[in-house]
Amino acid sequence: MYQTTNTRIIVPEFDVRQPTSLEAVLRELEHNAKGTRLLAGGTDLLVQIKLERTQPARLIDITRVPELMGMAVKDGMLIVGAATSIRTLANGVGVRERYTALAESCDAFSTVPVMIMGTIGGNLCNASPAADTAPALFAFDGAVELASCEGSRRTVPLDEFFVGPGRTVMREDEVMVAVRLPKTAAGTGSAFVKIGRVAADISKVSAAVKLVRKDDRVSECRIAVGAVAATPMRAYTAEQYLAGRRIDAKTLADAARAVEEDVKPITDVRSTKEYRTHVAGVAVKDALGAAWQRARGGERQ
Amino acid sequence: MSTTVKIPATHLETGSRQVGRPLERIDAKGKAVGSTRYAGDYVMPDMLHAKVLRSTVASANLRRLDVTKARALPGVVCVLTGADVPKHMVSTDIPGQTGSWGQNTGQPILVHDRVRYFGEPLALIASESRDIAERAMTLIEPEYEPLPGVFDPIEALKPEAPLVQGVGNVVASQMVRKGDVKHGFETADVIVERVYRTQFIEHAFLEPEVGLSWIDENDVINIHVSTQVIEHFRVVADAVGLPYNRVRIRGALVGGGFGGKEDVTVEIYLALLALATRRPVRLEYTREDSFVGHGKRHPFVMTYRTGVKNDGTITALEAKFIADAGAYVFLSPSVMVYAATAAPGPYKIDNLIADAKAVATNNMYTSAFRGFGAAQACVAYEQQMDEVAKAIGMDPVKFRRKNYMRAGDRTATGVVVPSAIWTEQCVDQAWTALGEPVEVSGPIKIGRGVAACLQGYGRLTSLHDTSEGWVGVERDGTVTVRSGVTDIGAGQVSALAQIAAEVLGVTLQDVAVYNSDSAVTPLAGTTTATRALYMTGNAIRQAAEAVRRRLAQRAAKAFNVPPDDIDMAFSKVFVADDPAQSMAFRDLVRICAAEGIHCSELAMFCAPFTEKLNPETGQGQVHPDFSYGAHAIELTVDTETGEITVIKSVGAHDVGRAINPAAVEGQIEGGAVQGQGYALSEEMIYKEGRLMTPSLSEYLIPTAMDVPQVKCIILESGSGLGPFGAKGIGEAALTPVAAAIANAVADAIGVRIAELPITPEKVVNALREKE
Repeated sequence: MYQTTNTRIIVPEFDVRQPTSLEAVLRELEHNAKGTRLLAGGTDLLVQIKLERTQPARLIDITRVPELMGMAVKDGMLIVGAATSIRTLANGVGVRERYTALAESCDAFSTVPVMIMGTIGGNLCNASPAADTAPALFAFDGAVELASCEGSRRTVPLDEFFVGPGRTVMREDEVMVAVRLPKTAAGTGSAFVKIGRVAADISKVSAAVKLVRKDDRVSECRIAVGAVAATPMRAYTAEQYLAGRRIDAKTLADAARAVEEDVKPITDVRSTKEYRTHVAGVAVKDALGAAWQRARGGERQ
Repeated sequence: MSTTVKIPATHLETGSRQVGRPLERIDAKGKAVGSTRYAGDYVMPDMLHAKVLRSTVASANLRRLDVTKARALPGVVCVLTGADVPKHMVSTDIPGQTGSWGQNTGQPILVHDRVRYFGEPLALIASESRDIAERAMTLIEPEYEPLPGVFDPIEALKPEAPLVQGVGNVVASQMVRKGDVKHGFETADVIVERVYRTQFIEHAFLEPEVGLSWIDENDVINIHVSTQVIEHFRVVADAVGLPYNRVRIRGALVGGGFGGKEDVTVEIYLALLALATRRPVRLEYTREDSFVGHGKRHPFVMTYRTGVKNDGTITALEAKFIADAGAYVFLSPSVMVYAATAAPGPYKIDNLIADAKAVATNNMYTSAFRGFGAAQACVAYEQQMDEVAKAIGMDPVKFRRKNYMRAGDRTATGVVVPSAIWTEQCVDQAWTALGEPVEVSGPIKIGRGVAACLQGYGRLTSLHDTSEGWVGVERDGTVTVRSGVTDIGAGQVSALAQIAAEVLGVTLQDVAVYNSDSAVTPLAGTTTATRALYMTGNAIRQAAEAVRRRLAQRAAKAFNVPPDDIDMAFSKVFVADDPAQSMAFRDLVRICAAEGIHCSELAMFCAPFTEKLNPETGQGQVHPDFSYGAHAIELTVDTETGEITVIKSVGAHDVGRAINPAAVEGQIEGGAVQGQGYALSEEMIYKEGRLMTPSLSEYLIPTAMDVPQVKCIILESGSGLGPFGAKGIGEAALTPVAAAIANAVADAIGVRIAELPITPEKVVNALREKE
């Protein structure tokens, strides 16, 4: 919450670098990591600067780096460059079919300018508890690949990436290179549900589900919920409960209740703790129902 | 008791060559292609940039305001504080073009010693760049001594409450008394009571406040500004201590007002800085500045108690309104008059008590907002109508039909309405237009609601409102219109061109309108209170008709027929029964010019003038006339998440005569969207006076994705007091929307949420309590 009644349109001065290779990005970081922020679209960062919540001395724009953009399938794994725009990701070949929940989470960005400017890496590194793509990537067991200026590379499972609101395990000398998503198994269905205030809005609550349906039972299930805790979170209790069960009215209600017990939302200007708790259950229930239907059809995996 | 204005009938009464057509407005193309210049698009050489420093506390003594460091910053040219403008207070806009004098709001232009709301202006800065002005603001550190504040009007009424202004916290009140309420309730079979609440809301016009000031070669302060009221030149002159004829305000096309640019905005600051620096000064609010910089819509607590017989006859109504006036009075007194006198809505209720009180708090001050108190009243009376209907098991539309005020009936204040009352037609048509309901299943429930309204058009008749306008014809056959009217986006200027074109038999493209300049265009009064078309349109029509009469007289001589036989159309003048006898319009103008026949006219239109309402009984005329309309809604409610989706939105309004039907549709659509935001998502949240929704990411207005295609039904009774029988639509378009939505939600879920905005959180809670 701002303590001021005035905001700036002309922001404080800062340097902007626009490297065109990953190597150049890392070189920039090597020279001066302190006070540097990576600019990966800017739909959040530029607002933060305007509100003076952050005052970087230097921005490194990574949206002109070919290695960080676009998508590829390697050994069945979908690799998405960190600077790939939300819109490009949503329209990626096979994304909607195989990673339905992820495509739906991209759709939830809603306004075309934000979808074009915003990037997957930016959405994750901004580390908002309400980041729309995070629950979907949790559900698909995603991981992020980080590169440091010292030349080291590491892969961090997404469920270990977020530390708190606005905080991740990424170090100042690192840049996110890509998001990696394992191949989806046969019989997979997934769905993403967002509850906002108006169509173009930050989530009050979001939920993503990926499940594998085998012999009309849930053989595997991952559920993640956004905007209900300090970081996007897995709903482990519900996942464990559902394993081996059929999806019907009773199991849906039980799973929803389990989610309500696991989440730890807050009251803020967008919604209340009580409402978020309740609706987290509803969102998971709706996502589970949709994922279950899709898994049977097999037309979307 | 009632005075009605009579417009002389002329043979022009049936105009239809230009008037009544959905013509492309003269301002349309520029807006579509982006070439329109707004007040913010003007710059001047050597111009300074200004900022306003505002308080970050809601109630405090200002101990110290040290501006030394800010003044020392290179590039800062001027810093003004309360000490530099010691005596001056902000006035309300009551002047306009009226017989009333400006009313002091009690607010100093800049805080002297006492801060009464969060965002109250402390200092003005002018510097060589906006960046420097912003930096200078950070160098001023106000020292406050916190004082207890009061943030709720009900709390503020308690004897122990802190006094916001040092005197009683009730800053305005209006009573209406009619019939015998006690007897009315005694004869009722059923009595229904409910408290309805509305919230602070923000105008959220597209264009934040902006202006440019300079001192010209004649030592006149010029201010080019986005405003609804160019007559604020008087307020500015008072503030800076100049004669009224030494301040000139030039308006521009305005990117929306909705009442938020009715009070003075940046003008006084600009004048003070221009005088202090003798350089041009530009001041542009950011969205966040705008949110804290102008008054909001009054939140109301409305207690309604209605007595009804089992056959649906209303026997009595008692309505009590408590409004949050915020820290300074501004237009609260007038808002209370609107609210109290609109308490029964468009219904005939013979036994009535209505009390409206505006109470000071340390919240943001509240003032004009489209609907102006009557809109809040509608939120209550139309929800109450549904609840009463339900209580006696009657269909809500049928129940309304039984109680509509009809021609010849007296209003709450004892006046016979001078125009047609088409409430029934509006409700029936809006309701029918919903058609077949959409299909829903599972947790999704469908609901429908309707609301009717009355809304005065024209300012309070006790203000003695006038409007002047000038029309002249040129020797090439073109027409010039001069009017001080400000166009705030609804097509006010284009309507004048259409009216002049109709009367003088030319096309819209032949008319040029010069407007919104307090020094050179005839003063037309405010663009507020749904008055611009009514007042200015009549003035321009009168002026054009005077010119036409003189031209027709000369043409009659030429054709040797009586003047009444002369018609003018398609830039020709001809004998009506024998069009072969004709001449070009411009030739006639040339003849007149050569013979010294006066080819222009300055006309003045006066609204009815009345005394102020009797404060004890509230009886007497309030408005020149009323518009009647209705809105119908179909929506779905997800009973699991509480989410509401508006599916169908239909506005039906008797506009008297649609001068430009396309512009009328624009008003109805805009009203539907703004009303939807009022009902469902918009709320300025103040916590201990501090604004918790400081930008458009916290304050949620509906976007195109949230609003269905709005269906507009335009009814034309031809009975209005405006030009060609027009009534007003600006405010009426918004007034019934929120109540229709509230009624539809109650219909969908079977429980009423009597507090706006109806958020999913409230829906889920209400459903839980119901279980």
